[in-house]
Amino acid sequence: MSASDSSPKSEPRAKSEPRTEAQARDFKEGLIREIPNLRAFAASLSGSMQLADDLVQDTLLKAWGNSDKFEPGTSLRAWLFTILRNTYYSLYRKRGREVQDSEGTYAERMATHGNQESHLDLADFRKALAKLPEEQREVLIMVGATGLSYEEAADICGVAIGTIKSRVNRARTKLAELLSIGSVDDLGPDRTSAAAMQRVGSESVGS
Amino acid sequence: MSRLDTAMSDPGEGFDDDFELVLDPKVQESIGRSLKAHYDDIVNAPVPDKFLVLLAQLEATEQRAAGASTDECK
Repeated sequence: MSASDSSPKSEPRAKSEPRTEAQARDFKEGLIREIPNLRAFAASLSGSMQLADDLVQDTLLKAWGNSDKFEPGTSLRAWLFTILRNTYYSLYRKRGREVQDSEGTYAERMATHGNQESHLDLADFRKALAKLPEEQREVLIMVGATGLSYEEAADICGVAIGTIKSRVNRARTKLAELLSIGSVDDLGPDRTSAAAMQRVGSESVGS
Repeated sequence: MSRLDTAMSDPGEGFDDDFELVLDPKVQESIGRSLKAHYDDIVNAPVPDKFLVLLAQLEATEQRAAGASTDECK
C-alpha cells in the first residue's frame, strides 16, 4: 500500500524525527476513537457497510503512514475525513455503485433499531439519503451528524463555506421532497414537506 | 420560489438569509433527527476487531523499526 498517491511529490523525509512512543500511542488512540465516526461517514458515502469497512481500513493505513503530516492540535476527525473522502472518490466510488446495484444499499439490509426519537422511519430515511447527489449527501452528513463545522466541511471538500451552506440547504430540500413521496404522516396530516416548503410560518394548524 | 417571509419567523437559527427556499422548521428538525439517528446507529455499532488488530500491528512494526532505543517488547 503506498500512501504516495495522496502526495505525489516524493519529499525526502526531511523531518525524519521519529515519533516518540508516547506520541505514537496518542495518535493510535486518536485513530481508535475515530473509527466509529469513520465507519458511519464511509457508510454514508458508499452506501455499503462492507465497502465502508474496506474504506476505513485504507484510511487507517494511510493515516498511519502519513501521521507526520497531521498537526497536533487540529481536528483529527477532519483530517481523517479528508483522507477517507479522497480515498473514496479516487478508488471506491465506482465499486460502490456496483455493489449497490447487485446487493441493494445497506439501507435495505441493515437492521434498524432504537430510533424511537425519530419521526421518520430509519430505513425510509436511508433510502432517501442514498438518492441524494453525492456532493449534497456528504456535506449534509458532515454538518448535520458528525459535529464538524461548516468551515471544516469546506476545508475537507475544498470549496467555499457558502457552497457548503447551499449544498446543505439543497440536500435538506431534496430529502424533504423525496420523503414526502413515501410516508411522512408523522409530520402531520396536511403538512407534507412539499406543502410545508411553500408555507413557512403558517402557524395556523387550523384546529 | 418566493422569498419566504422572514418577517414572520425570526431567522434566529443562524441560517443565512440568502437561502432561496426555507423548509418548515418542523421538517428541518425531523430531517436533523433522522440524520443523527442514521449516523449514530452506525457510530454505536460494535467496531470490528480487525481495525484494532491492524493498528496494533502497525504500532508493533513501527516500534520494531524505531527499535534501537526500546527493547523489543514481544
